[in-house]
Amino acid sequence: MLIGAVETECDFRSLVRQHQGMVFSIALHYLRDRGSAEEVAQEVFFSLHRNLHQIESLAHAMAWLRKVAVQRAIDEGRRRSRRPQVALADVAEPASSVKAGDPLLSELLRKLVATLPEAPRMVMILRYQEDLEPAEIAAALEMPLATVKSHLQRSLAMLRGKLARRGIGESGWTG
Amino acid sequence: MDWLEEELRRALAREDPPDGFAERVLSRSARGAWGRRGWLAAAAMVVVAFGAGGAWRQHQGNQAKEEVMLALRLASGPVSHIQSEVRGMTQ
Amino acid sequence: MRSLLVACLGALALLAAPQQFHINLDSVASKASSHVDVSLDASTLQFAAKFLDASDPDEAKVKKLIVGIEGIYVRHFEFKSSGAWSQADLEPIRAQLHGPEWSRIVGVSSSEDGENAEIWLRHSGNKSVGVAIIATEPKEVTVVNIAGNIDLESLSELGGHFGVPKMKTPDKPQKEE
Repeated sequence: MLIGAVETECDFRSLVRQHQGMVFSIALHYLRDRGSAEEVAQEVFFSLHRNLHQIESLAHAMAWLRKVAVQRAIDEGRRRSRRPQVALADVAEPASSVKAGDPLLSELLRKLVATLPEAPRMVMILRYQEDLEPAEIAAALEMPLATVKSHLQRSLAMLRGKLARRGIGESGWTG
Repeated sequence: MDWLEEELRRALAREDPPDGFAERVLSRSARGAWGRRGWLAAAAMVVVAFGAGGAWRQHQGNQAKEEVMLALRLASGPVSHIQSEVRGMTQ
Repeated sequence: MRSLLVACLGALALLAAPQQFHINLDSVASKASSHVDVSLDASTLQFAAKFLDASDPDEAKVKKLIVGIEGIYVRHFEFKSSGAWSQADLEPIRAQLHGPEWSRIVGVSSSEDGENAEIWLRHSGNKSVGVAIIATEPKEVTVVNIAGNIDLESLSELGGHFGVPKMKTPDKPQKEE
């Protein structure tokens, strides 16, 4: 085990500041609740603090944090034992012709992703939030690569279908 | 990457945690470290007061517990994998 | 008198609840870079259950899960490179599972990743009294025997969420924040 730059409190501080966005966002997009996301993110960093001696490098720290954030978010989701449902009355619908980055479309997509079962939901978050390749997602989730690809494919198809039923599709999208 | 994937990237972009998050984490981590040292001191006193017998049983119990957790973790991996493959095929 | 003796022996056999098949993987063990060998009989499981914290969600699930279990036997091997083991190494185990008391209930196989997993159930009359799990990857072999009655659905939900992950340093450079 290398005694690297991550042993000191100073380095823990910098790891918190550097990776708080990633950890918080994984929990937020998975749980769709800012309070729960902050609690989970705090637990992840407490866990890091207890296990600093295991961390071998700064790259290792980031991968470690991501993996623990995924685990804790999933655990918290199970404890809450509910899948958020999209109540259409609560969501202002984007127009069928949408511009790139339409905030209503973004909000609808976040809510639709949050209704996915836990494994595909986390796969989508790691793909589109963290920009991980399927092989990296497979490693992070300890899941076969074929399963990751299947989750991505099915989830995208589901999202396209749900958006199409609302009249939202590529033909009306201006990027 | 097509239009939907571009929009997903925007929708799932990272967000900053609430203001003061890092400070809260750092201050609680520091308190946690003191808390752990206090706990260790209390545990040491318990061992001295009641002798090594109770602590040894606790140690054995914790070891047994860790072995159970390890065994089930190794067993649950393949079962979970099978279940997700089967669900994937039936969806 | 003879029937009493037979009944006593039967009761003793049930109480002992030994491992239900031999996990003889000596041919594999010698080539492994690391291995885990866990054998937990009923008394150890009962002892361990007292130290499982009901207020911790994972430990509470485990505590509930092991109520009907009489023994857990695990052999897990990891290898530095692919090709260190072959299906022939697992034949002595599979041969034991071909008896009438065992039935293979599910198996999945991926030629892309070289991953295989199968579950066998042991039954006595209409009751399930044991589980065998054989899981292989190019660099890992895991064989598990759980004697007793276990809820496979609950077991699958435990998958991979204990404690802190042991990380390997990633191969690729990570995206900068």
